[in-house]
Amino acid sequence: MKHITKYTIAIIVILTMLAAVPQLALAQTGTEEEKPAFEVGELALTTTFPNQTVEMGENVSIDLKLRTSTEPQTVQLAVNDLPEGWEASFRGGAKVISAAYVEPGTDTNITLRLEPSDTVKAGTYRFLVTAKSSRATATLPLEITVQEKLPPSLTLTVDLPTLRGKPNTTFRYNATLKNEGDENLAVNLVADAPPGFIVTFKMTGQEVTSVPLDANQSKSLSIEARAYPDLAAGSYPITVRAEGGEASATLNLTAEVTGESDLTVTAPDGRLSGTAYAGSETPLKVIIRNNGSAPARAITLSSSEPAGWSVDFVPKEIDEIPAGQQAEVTAKIRPSDKALAGDYMVTVRAQPTDGTTKSADFRITVLTSTLWGVVGVVLIAVAVGVVAVAVLRFGRR
Amino acid sequence: MALRSDQSQERMHGREGSPWTGLWAVVAKEMADHLTGMRMRILEILIVLTAIGTVYAATQNLRETVGQDPFILLRLFTTAREPLPAFVGFLGFLVPLIAIALAFDSVNGEFSRRTMSRVLAQPIYRDALLLGKFLAGIFTLALVLATIWLLIMGAGMIGLGVPPSGEEVARSLWFLLATIFYGGIWLAVAMLFSIIFRQPATAALASIAAWLFFTVFWGILAGVLAPILQPVRYGFPEEIIAQAQTELTLTRLSPNTLYTEVMIALLQPTVRSVGLVLPIQLHGAVLGTPLPLSQSVLLVWPQLTGLIAATILLFALGYVLFQRQEIRA
Repeated sequence: MKHITKYTIAIIVILTMLAAVPQLALAQTGTEEEKPAFEVGELALTTTFPNQTVEMGENVSIDLKLRTSTEPQTVQLAVNDLPEGWEASFRGGAKVISAAYVEPGTDTNITLRLEPSDTVKAGTYRFLVTAKSSRATATLPLEITVQEKLPPSLTLTVDLPTLRGKPNTTFRYNATLKNEGDENLAVNLVADAPPGFIVTFKMTGQEVTSVPLDANQSKSLSIEARAYPDLAAGSYPITVRAEGGEASATLNLTAEVTGESDLTVTAPDGRLSGTAYAGSETPLKVIIRNNGSAPARAITLSSSEPAGWSVDFVPKEIDEIPAGQQAEVTAKIRPSDKALAGDYMVTVRAQPTDGTTKSADFRITVLTSTLWGVVGVVLIAVAVGVVAVAVLRFGRR
Repeated sequence: MALRSDQSQERMHGREGSPWTGLWAVVAKEMADHLTGMRMRILEILIVLTAIGTVYAATQNLRETVGQDPFILLRLFTTAREPLPAFVGFLGFLVPLIAIALAFDSVNGEFSRRTMSRVLAQPIYRDALLLGKFLAGIFTLALVLATIWLLIMGAGMIGLGVPPSGEEVARSLWFLLATIFYGGIWLAVAMLFSIIFRQPATAALASIAAWLFFTVFWGILAGVLAPILQPVRYGFPEEIIAQAQTELTLTRLSPNTLYTEVMIALLQPTVRSVGLVLPIQLHGAVLGTPLPLSQSVLLVWPQLTGLIAATILLFALGYVLFQRQEIRA
């Protein structure tokens, strides 16, 4: 009996508990309904982004939300304190509206469209949107900052603004041209180079003078400066300008031209020939001219001549020939004793320490001595003498 | 000059007056004989025909083959066309032939016609007679050769349409001079034999024998003699060169060789040497370029003077022999 009592009590407790659970659950549900996520009261006017920055001349559309927690109501919409030059209109469902109907639990979405006129200047403008129903009034302050448009702007940059090279090298600057403005531009490229330079612009291997450049686009540009070969050594400034509409960019480049000597071997009258007697020394004037842009130093003179000949230079070495100057050297040419009469080639070379060797072929006409000619005449004279002696010795009547 | 200055020596030999007396009379008479003689006419026709034939052939050849040559007229003399040899080749044996024909009976002919004592009975020295005969021969030869020279130059100008340059004329005139003295040697040889031999036929035969000897056999003989005089024992290059040099020297004793060398150097301006040329001498040379005329003349000056001196010496030998001869016998 005791057992039955115990079980009975347990069952009662369990049943009691089971009876209590739904009540607990009900109690919780009741609490949620009483406390919603936000309590707006009679009427609320909200927007996600109340502060906006726009560019000049741009229309602004702001999404507004109307909400009520109590009664459905009709709301009159208006913008108070409209700054000068602005026009405001409300839109809903693709229509221009001036009032909206609000039900509890449902947001009414309205778009406020603010249209600045051309006279509107940059600055911060405040708007106060008012929603007014028969039961309540809600306001929403808005702040629109009007910004001036980004001005058209170009930049021209180069990795290596100073290059160094010989007069015959091409100075190639790798530049980057960037349009930092918001407008598409046609950029003209202009170079201002000292005389003696030809500047060209190349883009992907093609020579260009004008480049279309979209907003915020950058293009790499190759600026090539070619110097005339006889340009004197020195530092030459090159100014490159990129002009597109009102924007322009300037780039200062420097080409450092190092000089180069360029020797020419010739003769005083340009005639590369001479005559020499076999076996006797004949001087031949040789002119070494420096047509380059830098002095040639320590020029050694050498020659290749036919076998058995000797060619000596006086002086053997020239210390220096300034650019554009010349030096005279005497080549003492002595053909071989057994040289046959006729033309021979003698190559004269001039080698500076810091340049290329230059040479010239001299054509030497070898003459043979007239000594044997005299001997022949003597021979004939002897023969005539023999006749004379015979006439004197044997002449008779 | 020497002849006139030493009056005392002349008196010592009992000579009176100048040895030149009557010289030009002899020259004129002899030349008249030569130029009107049938013998001379045959030879002239022969040589003119040769000249026309060879030059015509050369002109045809040059027109076909040579584009540009600064010495194209000189090549008229040296260009051969099969089957004819070049004109200079003909000259090489025609000139001795003319010279021998002119002189082989010059002295002994007078004896055989018995006119020698008659001539010398005139106020003419023997000197003048011999020199006059020799000069007449030379002048006749020069006349014939100059005519042929003009003929060739004229034919060349017509055939090729090119006027001769100054250098071409100068070179061909030097060549003419060399040809005359080449003839002069054979003239002196023939005259020598006509003094030595009393029979004109013998003199002619001896002259032609001498000519044949030098033209045909001397070259062969030199080739045989050179290894004997300068044998190659070990085969060194020096020995071979020395032997070749010896052979060249031997062949140069022949007037034919001298004349050929003169002709080559004068008519071919690009020739730089007529002797042996070692390759080392041509190192650095610009081949094919013409030598200036003075250098070409200088190149063969020994040959040229050799020809002239030989002519004079042979005449001197003939003179001495003639002076010692008995005329009245």
